[in-house]
Amino acid sequence: MSKPPTPKPIDQVVKLLEQRFGKLPVTISQTATDANIDCPPGHFRAVVEELKTHRDLAFDFLRNMVGIDMLEEGLACKYQFFSYKHRHAVQVTVLTPPGNPHIPSITDLYPAANWHEREAAEMVGLVFDGHPNLKNLLLDEDVRIHPLLKAHPLQKAEILQGIEDTTPGFTF
Amino acid sequence: MTIWPEERVPALADDGFETVDMTINVGPQHPATHGVFRMVLTVDGEKVVDCEPYIGYLHRGLEKLTENHDYRQSMGWWDRTDYLAGMACEMAYCMAVEKLGNISVPLRAEYIRVMMVELSRILSHFMFLGAFGADVGSFGTSFIYAWRERERIYDFFEEVAGDRMFPTYFRPGGVQMDLPENYQDRVRWLLGSIRQGLEDFDGLLVGNEIFVERCRGLSPVTPEQAIAWGLTGPCLRATGFKFDLRKDEPYSVYPNLTFDIPTGTSGDVFDRFMVRMAEAYQSTRIVEQCLDALSQMEGELVLNPDLPKTLRIDSGECYVRTEGTKGEYGVYALAKGGNKPYRMKLRSPSFCNLSALREMVIGTYVADAIIILGSLDIVLGEVDK
Repeated sequence: MSKPPTPKPIDQVVKLLEQRFGKLPVTISQTATDANIDCPPGHFRAVVEELKTHRDLAFDFLRNMVGIDMLEEGLACKYQFFSYKHRHAVQVTVLTPPGNPHIPSITDLYPAANWHEREAAEMVGLVFDGHPNLKNLLLDEDVRIHPLLKAHPLQKAEILQGIEDTTPGFTF
Repeated sequence: MTIWPEERVPALADDGFETVDMTINVGPQHPATHGVFRMVLTVDGEKVVDCEPYIGYLHRGLEKLTENHDYRQSMGWWDRTDYLAGMACEMAYCMAVEKLGNISVPLRAEYIRVMMVELSRILSHFMFLGAFGADVGSFGTSFIYAWRERERIYDFFEEVAGDRMFPTYFRPGGVQMDLPENYQDRVRWLLGSIRQGLEDFDGLLVGNEIFVERCRGLSPVTPEQAIAWGLTGPCLRATGFKFDLRKDEPYSVYPNLTFDIPTGTSGDVFDRFMVRMAEAYQSTRIVEQCLDALSQMEGELVLNPDLPKTLRIDSGECYVRTEGTKGEYGVYALAKGGNKPYRMKLRSPSFCNLSALREMVIGTYVADAIIILGSLDIVLGEVDK
């Protein structure tokens, strides 16, 4: 059996991505652990399809997804991909404009995205167009709150659900 | 001897009977779901036609709490995610904070951490061995065998950190305090006991033909399917795909340690069981090497002494991944100044493994669905965050 490839240094991945995505309006940078692609929602599908199908990139595994409230900048969604073939990782950041939190779903490319997208949708209020079943996952089905928005206060669950009709009990 | 006269046996097939699919609700209070997990099965006779998992009964808002507390204060609830292996979760959380803040960890503390994490892995895998045996039908016997070793390890944890399940022993920059004086003898004795326990399990379950026949060939998964569904950890390695973050994206002192990565062949339920059993054995090897290394550096520091009273991190972003007991346990962290993280997200391996449950149980029998769920080895604290 051949020896599996060793993990690729981040700057090499950055170089590789710059070659592939030089023409698209994306910016390539790096975080403390991974290379990062900042990509507008309009080009997101094209970028992900290229990441998945291109021979030198071959990102076959969606390992994680994070929805973040960036306050006045809008909602962000971060995708962490990994390639088992080349043993390199990348993060794709999609920043949606305020008031229009729509991102195309990638459940058809990565079945693993299904629950991740449902979680991001309920937690920060992102909308994934084309998701087959975008209902609440961790929260109660008929609760329409987005707890991980920064504007959402940290308080008792009973108050949020309207069961207990008092002023917020504790703040940190 | 016939119990019923021939004419009373009902006709079963194509006689114009209409059959209707039936819906069965399993959980959230059900012993076979290993916690507060609910799944709605649609069955055609004994065959599962559809399965819809419902989670969130244990959702405690871990990420929101972490955003609202000091970096060190949040330690307390990160070991409540995977509560069967609390230290493995603490390790991932501490590594994320250390990555953001560029905090170094003394070598002795790294070895202590790895030793405790591997003991936690053994704890978690013993829990699986016991509970899975109960799922398959050995009722309480396997549970009691598993508990014997688990209690001994928990006793050691209590001696080290003062608590059994939720030790809160790790700190950003090291560990809380040094190990107790007699730890070398204690842990070496523990290892012998653990190996004996594994041997007992080998005889009790793997030597049992009913058990083997029940599990072999059930819900086979190919590596391609596993990757697409997001399976990691023992469930991925059972398919024959050799990938372990401890070797393939090494962190901490794992590069200095010698151990093998057990893999299966067909990815079925039996392979998942065997991979975990072999992993527990490999963990005892790692612990042994950690003990040897620790004996060379007695009395050294276990916590970085240069840390300020309050950790403040200006900015930074990282996604730290560790090989948790159930799979890839990742922590995404984003800091924007101050003593609190701006956003922390847990990539929970149980959550991702469980999302593949629907695909795995469709087409199997109801009794097998319970076993498949058990073989994923979920822990609801981690699924629901």
